[in-house]
This record gives sequence, structure tokens and C-alpha cells, in this order.
Amino acid sequence: MLTVAGLGRDELVARLRGPGLRLRTGPFVTCVKSPLALLAETLGTMYADYPVLGEGGLADFHVALSGSRGLRRLLRPQVHFHYDGMAPFQPLPLDQTFPMFEWAMNWCVSSQAHSWLVIHAAVIEKGGVAAILPAPPGSGKSTLCAALVNRGWRLLSDELTLVRLDDGNIDPLPRPVSLKNASIGILREYAPQAIFTRPVADTVKGTVAHMRASSDSVARAGDAASPAWIVFPQWRAGALAELTPVAPARAHMRLAGNAFNYSLLGAAGFEAVARLVGAVRTYDFCYGVLDDAVAVFERLLLERA
Amino acid sequence: MSSSPTWRLAPGQRLAHRCHDGECVLFNDLTGDTHLLDQSAFDLLEVLRAAPQTALALLALDGGDAASDPALLDDLTALLDDLAALELIEALPC
Amino acid sequence: MKEMPLLLRALRAPACMARLSEDEWDLLLRQALASNLAATLGLLAEEAGISAALPARVRRRLAWSRTVWERHLRAVAFELRQIQKALRDTGLPLILLKGAAYTAAGLPAGGGRLFSDVDILVPKERLADVESVLMLHGWAGSHHDEYDQRYYREWMHELPPMQHVRRASVIDVHHAILPETAAVRPDPARLRAGARAIPGRDGYYTLAPCDMVLHSAVHLFSEGEYHHGLRDLFDLHRLLCHFGADPGFWAALPARARELELARPLCYALRYCTRLLGTPVPAGVLDAARAGAPNPALLALMDALFLRALQPPHPSCADAFGAAARAALYIRGNWLRMPPLMLSRHLFHKAFLSPKAEPAQ
Repeated sequence: MLTVAGLGRDELVARLRGPGLRLRTGPFVTCVKSPLALLAETLGTMYADYPVLGEGGLADFHVALSGSRGLRRLLRPQVHFHYDGMAPFQPLPLDQTFPMFEWAMNWCVSSQAHSWLVIHAAVIEKGGVAAILPAPPGSGKSTLCAALVNRGWRLLSDELTLVRLDDGNIDPLPRPVSLKNASIGILREYAPQAIFTRPVADTVKGTVAHMRASSDSVARAGDAASPAWIVFPQWRAGALAELTPVAPARAHMRLAGNAFNYSLLGAAGFEAVARLVGAVRTYDFCYGVLDDAVAVFERLLLERA
Repeated sequence: MSSSPTWRLAPGQRLAHRCHDGECVLFNDLTGDTHLLDQSAFDLLEVLRAAPQTALALLALDGGDAASDPALLDDLTALLDDLAALELIEALPC
Repeated sequence: MKEMPLLLRALRAPACMARLSEDEWDLLLRQALASNLAATLGLLAEEAGISAALPARVRRRLAWSRTVWERHLRAVAFELRQIQKALRDTGLPLILLKGAAYTAAGLPAGGGRLFSDVDILVPKERLADVESVLMLHGWAGSHHDEYDQRYYREWMHELPPMQHVRRASVIDVHHAILPETAAVRPDPARLRAGARAIPGRDGYYTLAPCDMVLHSAVHLFSEGEYHHGLRDLFDLHRLLCHFGADPGFWAALPARARELELARPLCYALRYCTRLLGTPVPAGVLDAARAGAPNPALLALMDALFLRALQPPHPSCADAFGAAARAALYIRGNWLRMPPLMLSRHLFHKAFLSPKAEPAQ
């Protein structure tokens, strides 16, 4: 199977500039086009292990990232995202090319992939079962997720949890884990062997960096998992790690509030969330120290065995 | 409009729901909304699904008596109005 | 003009989708999404009995669009109920137009059809009543700019669009199908008189079949914007195919067009439907419709403009002329609706003086 690394740099650049790089992430194929050297370089590192399809063929999404034209290029160059000729976002400064790419990839899935209930949540797996971590910004979800995947948990997704409408299992969508501000430094220390992009400052979310998904998680992108827990994380400085059960009806409402296409799916969305809540234990989780948090998750796993 | 309407479940409502420990989530087939309801409010909907009732009749079914406790009837009426505003129930045309 | 775009081929002959390569599917889906016809394609494939033959990834993608459409249907059903409740006290029949009509009546033209507004037709003398009951039930006026208000109320054939304060749904209340200021004025009283109740949908009405077709033709060939041009042309095609099963329909159509002064739009409608979509129109009807044609020079120009502007709005189908064609048709569209002097003032105002519009969905 051909991967981005296997293409070699020249071929990677040629495809991006020409017919498009057909990249497989989880269940999706995205045709990526871009003349930007920065994107080629970052894709080469962060997506080295990901499968690449031959030229031509059917893609689910079409993503194009281009630079500014003319004088603008010299003054304050920008990166533009086009979805097949349409521009859903405002342009950003050129150094935010890779975060723009990641946000574009998320947007494609969250706005269109209606074979799944798409929850704004991280999801990780160990021992054959998955923990879903929904969270609005600022809760520390990505930091916690990044820590856990460096302590033996498999990354299924950092941002988008795909819950199958037919059987309720989770389809993996392993992609780079996004980290912000202080979390970047924390994770570098916590996982010195992990690979990170150069941090990009002044984005709408502050300083942003991405951590590469492990080769194992990418290799197992086809291995679905069955959900066992929903954990709403909340980081607080100095807090003791503590799980508090959440009542099912409340869990349902909160989960629905965190799903992109819950309303769109109508009754099917209701049933998907109801089934999920019925199949798992739901907790609120506060923590202050990553190692404590990891220990709590290990205990959850033990209790289940 | 009569001051004491007969209420029924709004046509089209299938009452897809899950109840646990006194709380229920309910899918609203007409508006597409999802509601968090008290068990007793949900039970009321099931009663109306079985057959249309007036507020007084509902009170009686529950063992209540409007004469001895008028506040109870007021509360029930307010609840019925709220449920109607959510398109879950409707007043039968006079 | 280049070889016929894939999307056009698929709309003309849906069964051909069973033989497309993966490359062709990639392009077709992109054209369909850009034209807002993806859900329709899925339905056409089902009607042609070829869904099972399609690649799994195609079926999956079409299913995503189907889900969006089904959600739209539920929202429309609810919206129509609310509008009907609001209008009850006016005693007016709820006459639906365009997408809402096709959907409520279960017509093939409604299949896969998404639309952002519900359009209704009421008598001009009852506009104030209708506006006030709608406001009572939560719809608020829009376009508060004084110029836009005048544009709609005095010159156009509709109230400014009203948006519901809670649900954000929009209703367009029309009193005619062409503006006050247009050169032709099809009599709305005749249209209302011909309205038919939708069987099984208590209290909902549509225009009579000929009138529905003529309204669709007028809407397409004199509206300003052609971004949905192909989709609107496909509506016409579906309407003609459906109603065309009744020979009485074809017999009545040219005469009704003349009666409503809509011979010209009918001529264009039949001309471009047959040429682009292969709509089966009886020869006699085409001949009769030609009476509404403009002089040959103008017809040639219109051909050039329309045949380009009605192509899928997708980069694969754009030629340099396409965007210019659409711009020319925007100006033309408004010309039909407003006398030339008013036109330039309107365009100028729209471009520079009105508050920034909402971004498109």
C-alpha cells in the first residue's frame, strides 16, 4: 500500500500542484491541491504514514489551499481555502497554512458525513473499548487526549467522533492532534518522542501546534471500536482527579449539544444518542495533573474487565 | 374558544423517548427538537396519547381535586399550555 | 460550447449513471453539489433502478445529500402547518408556489429539491391582512432599508421576505408573478382562480398545471439571478414530463400562455428544455410556442447567453464567457422587471448603498 512517505517528496509536490493528492483518512478520501511549499512539507511529516490513492478515482472531498496573488504575496501573504471552487472561510495569514488545512478537513467531515452521528469530541481506545471525550473549547480535551495516546491508548480521533448510525460503533478518523498555548509545552515534556509541527502564533485560538498521530493508530484506521464511556473533561489547576456520574437524560442532552449533525439527523440522531448513552457510563471528570488523569482511565479499564 | 379545552397528543407525535430515574428525553417529531422532561410531564403525554382529556379529567385521573386545591389546576393548566407551545399536544377544535 | 457536461447527461438520461467510471463520478458529484442537485441525482438513480449498480462510495455520498433533503422535508412540513395556522383567520386559501408547491404536492419536481423560502400567493388587496397575521405569529419584516422597502412594495410583486424570529424560516408573500413595473402583467386573479387543492393535504393549494409551468418559466427567464439556472430548468423539465402525460395539458399550454401574456417565456422554456434536457415536447406544441419567439437576431443572442448561463455552476463547466453571460442575464432579468431608468438606479443602489447582505448558505 502506497503512503505519503512512499511517494517521495518530488512526487508529493507534483501531485499537490497538479492532479491532486488523494489522501485516505479514516473512511474518507480527500483530494488535496496546493502549490504551497509549506503545506507539502508539513503533509510530508504529519501524514507520512497515511495511504495515498492513485491519480484519478473518486474522492469524498476536494480541498484546495492556495496563496495570495500579485502584490499581496509580498506584503502580507495569505492562505485561501477553496472547497471545489467555493470559499467557505476567510483567508488566514500564510504561516497558518497547516492549521487551516486541518480546520478545512474537519469542516468537510462535520458538514457532510451524515452516515454517522458526528460528535465534537476526542475518542480513544484500549482493550477493545472506547472512551469519548466531548468538550467545548477550553476544557482540556485535546491535552488529555494527547496524553492518553502517549500512554498506551489508541487514537481514534482528536476532534470528530464518528458514531455509526446502524450499529453504534465508532469508526476511527486518526489525524494530527491539535494543541494550544501551554499544552504544547506540557505535551513536549510528557511525550518527548512525539513529533510536533512548529507552533504557529496569533491564530484565533492562540498559539497552535499539531502532534503527529502514531503509525499504529493510522495503520489501524479500519478497526472500529465499541464505546464504553463518555467522559466530559474539565482541567482545573490543582484539581484532584475525580469522576462524577452524569444522569442518562442529562448525558443525552449534553451529547446532543456537542454533535454537529444531531438536528439534521432528526429521529435517527435521537436514537443514535439514546443508544450510545444506554451503552456507556457517562462521567464528568475534573483533573489537574495528567498522570492522575491517566491513572483514572486505567482504573476505568480495569473495572470493566 | 372554550375555557376548558379537551387536549390530545398532536397528530404525528410518536413519543420516541428514554426515561431514567424520573427524567426523560423526548424527540419531537413535528419540530425536530429534543426535550428534557420530568417523568410526570412525560406520563401526561402518554395519557393523552391513549385518549383526549380535559385538564379537570387529568387531575381526577391523578387523584386530585380542583375544588380542594385550585393551585393544582393552575399548575396543570400552565403545564398543558407549555406542552402545546412546544407542539406536543393540541386543543381539540371546539 | 464544450461537449455536454456530465451533469446534463445524467439529468437527461439517468440510466447512463450505471456506466460511469470512478473519474466521471468524481466530476459528476462535484457538478451536482455545486448545482444543488445531488439529492435529486440520488432519486433519479433510484427511479432508474440503478442504485445498486453504483460504486459504494457514490451511494454513500448520495445518501449524505438524501439525509439533508429528508431533514428539509420535515422542516417544510412543519413550516407549512405553521403558515396555515397563521392564515386561518384571514379565510384565504393557502396557495403555494415553486419549491414549496412541488414538495407539498409530492410532484417529481419536488424530489431532492431544497429551497430556502416558502412562496405563497395572495390577493393584492389582502396584503396588509396577511402581513399582520404573519407578524402576529412571529414572522418579522426584513429589508428595512427604505429603498428596499419601496423596491418590494411598490415595484415588485411581493412583500419584503419575512423571517420568523425563532425559527429563522423565511416566507415570501407574492400578489402576482411578475412585478408591477414589468411590461407584461399576467393577471393574478386568473392564476388564483385556477388554483387546485392538493389531494389529501387539507387546505393547501397549488396553481393549475399549465400555470405552474408558466410561473416556473417566468421565474427562470425573467429573474435576475441564474446561479440556480440549471436546477430551475430541471424543475421545468420535471413538471413538463409529469403533466405532459395528460394530452389535455399540451393542448391547453400555448393558449394559456397567450392568455397570460407569457408566450415569450414559454418559448424559451420549451426551447432550452428540449435542447439541454431532451424534454419530450410534442412537435405541434413547439410550433405553437415559436409564435412567442423574439426576432432571429435577439434569439441568437439569447441562445448564446442562456445556453452558457444554464450550464452547471462549476469550474469544470466554466468558460470565460460563462460569468459574463450570467452577469448579462442579471441585467437583462432586471430589465424585464423594471423600466431602464429605474433599473440603473436600482443596481447602483443594490451594489453600493444597501447594508451588507447575509452570507449565502
